[in-house]
Amino acid sequence: MTAALRVRDAADGSPGAVDALDFVLPEELVAREPPEAHGLARDRVRLLVSDPDTDDVRHLTARDVPDILSHDDVLVVNASATINAALDGWRSERGAASDELIALHLSSPVPWSDDDRRWVVELRRLTADGTRPLLDARAGERIRLRSGGSATLIAPFSDRAAGLPNGSVRLWEAELTCPGGVMAYAAEFGAPIRYPYVRERWPLYMYQTMFATDPGSAEMPSAGRPFTADIVMRLQSKGVVIAPIVLHTGVASLEAGEPPYPERFRVAACTADAVNQARQRGGRVVAVGTTVVRALETVAAPDGTLSAAEGWTDLVITPERGARVVDALMTGFHEPRASHLAMLEAIAGRRHLEVAYRAALESRYLWHEFGDVHLLIRRMAATAG
Amino acid sequence: MTTNNGRTALITGASRGLGLALARGLATRGWNLILTARDAERLRGVRDELATITHVAALAGDVIDPTHREALAVLARGHAGLDAIINNAGTLGPSPQPPLLEYPLEALVEVFLANVLAPLAVIQELRHELKPHARIINVTSDAAVNAYPRWGGYGASKAALEQLSAVLAVENPDIRVYWVDPGDMRTDMHQAAYPGEDISDRPLPETKVPGFVTVLEGDLPSGRYVASEIAPAGIVTASVAA
Repeated sequence: MTAALRVRDAADGSPGAVDALDFVLPEELVAREPPEAHGLARDRVRLLVSDPDTDDVRHLTARDVPDILSHDDVLVVNASATINAALDGWRSERGAASDELIALHLSSPVPWSDDDRRWVVELRRLTADGTRPLLDARAGERIRLRSGGSATLIAPFSDRAAGLPNGSVRLWEAELTCPGGVMAYAAEFGAPIRYPYVRERWPLYMYQTMFATDPGSAEMPSAGRPFTADIVMRLQSKGVVIAPIVLHTGVASLEAGEPPYPERFRVAACTADAVNQARQRGGRVVAVGTTVVRALETVAAPDGTLSAAEGWTDLVITPERGARVVDALMTGFHEPRASHLAMLEAIAGRRHLEVAYRAALESRYLWHEFGDVHLLIRRMAATAG
Repeated sequence: MTTNNGRTALITGASRGLGLALARGLATRGWNLILTARDAERLRGVRDELATITHVAALAGDVIDPTHREALAVLARGHAGLDAIINNAGTLGPSPQPPLLEYPLEALVEVFLANVLAPLAVIQELRHELKPHARIINVTSDAAVNAYPRWGGYGASKAALEQLSAVLAVENPDIRVYWVDPGDMRTDMHQAAYPGEDISDRPLPETKVPGFVTVLEGDLPSGRYVASEIAPAGIVTASVAA
């Protein structure tokens, strides 16, 4: 997958030139804190709108979203709420004088398991500026958690997602013993997962979208973050249907080349109907977030017709597979070589993504979960006011 | 390059005046900072300036808002606790200040909310984030102890803050509580107290920082202090100690 995205370097070698999606992200384009921290309302983040058919690019703000959509369209959002998935843990090394404080990240319950104490977890070592993967854990090891909780490592999680080239293990299947159950325990003792580029610990509400009703995501489904009641009201008064799905995200710390692992999802009948009707009347199916694409495409028949379903999905959307139902995608800006870029390529095409990412880099858009957003949408000119 | 001293202070009202001077002063002494102020743009400028010197977290908002205080507590947890809280944010009230017999009561409620209840609310919210022997500074004024015409609203609120500080000190022997009078300063608030007048003879807030540093880093007992009267070595030349 990585190789498919990689093309030759910028011919002129100029810094920031994007001849490929294999660019170097300048450090100053990393959003390091929620926009609210510096007084910017959520819906004031910037919005790059780009049309994969015409390569038109417009520079707007998130609150302009209603101007881009029409009453024929359906906007599908993820109603999954973020949980406090980062727990403090203590590892006792044989022979060590004191226990090592580490971070244990809850990714998801073990897929297709009915034992709610079995979770897929990632262990991370604390560093001066955050955490990095801890790769030398062993099966049978017991991690002590706060207030009498514990996690026992059972086995590396799945043969394909967890093994790194050197044989070390990043994701573990663990048995958790948490007073009150894992979800209640995490709510009380955990914190939102963050990576070194986010310098501070922010409260959970900074990680919730206004659509969040169903707790379960290890990491914020961040494309929905810029939406506010004002935007939703203007969409509704314009007649744009807003329909929810639920897809609980796992930890996002995939290494290059690692395929996404299974995630829990639910597409209700009312949402399937709303999407089917929008397609019949010629409207666009606009997914807010890659999680929504994954859920909708999982339940789409080859002709794009949706039916209600819930369960686990291990679908990976590639340019070869293509998108059956999603026409448009609102999403953040993704890391160079991220597997999500393959999904974007499936929707918008490779050449257009290069145009859009070049524009985003040139116009200094901000990357990552607290950053700016990108709407890939066809027939942009017809509806833009 | 400054050596980080591993200590963290929360400063309210840090985007201008005394709060900004204290933020700069503590940054150069190696303190980590959590800064807050209502003026997001100015606060961002302060954060960017001081981020080259020390670890600075900044969150714009109003400490009267409980959600904002909760977010400050989470930030403090991320810093592994606080060594100091400096309750510097405050309001003068209407400018020019009205005499008490004409003081609009709704305006007086706002003054007490900002100058008395908000500082206490900050301490309440952050109490579990305080490290052992943490220090609390509530910024007060000589209008709290002297009767100046037209300073009744502001002065009464600062008097209430002082009494609240004194009781906090006796209720919590593990922490030090200081209520510090910085004296007259060339600040926006002072200008609002004397609208249209030339206040360029007043000292800059930077001149008050050494006194505050002594309170934070020395070993003074809890009590009332006047910034300009605190000797750098921590020897108090004049004070009304509790």
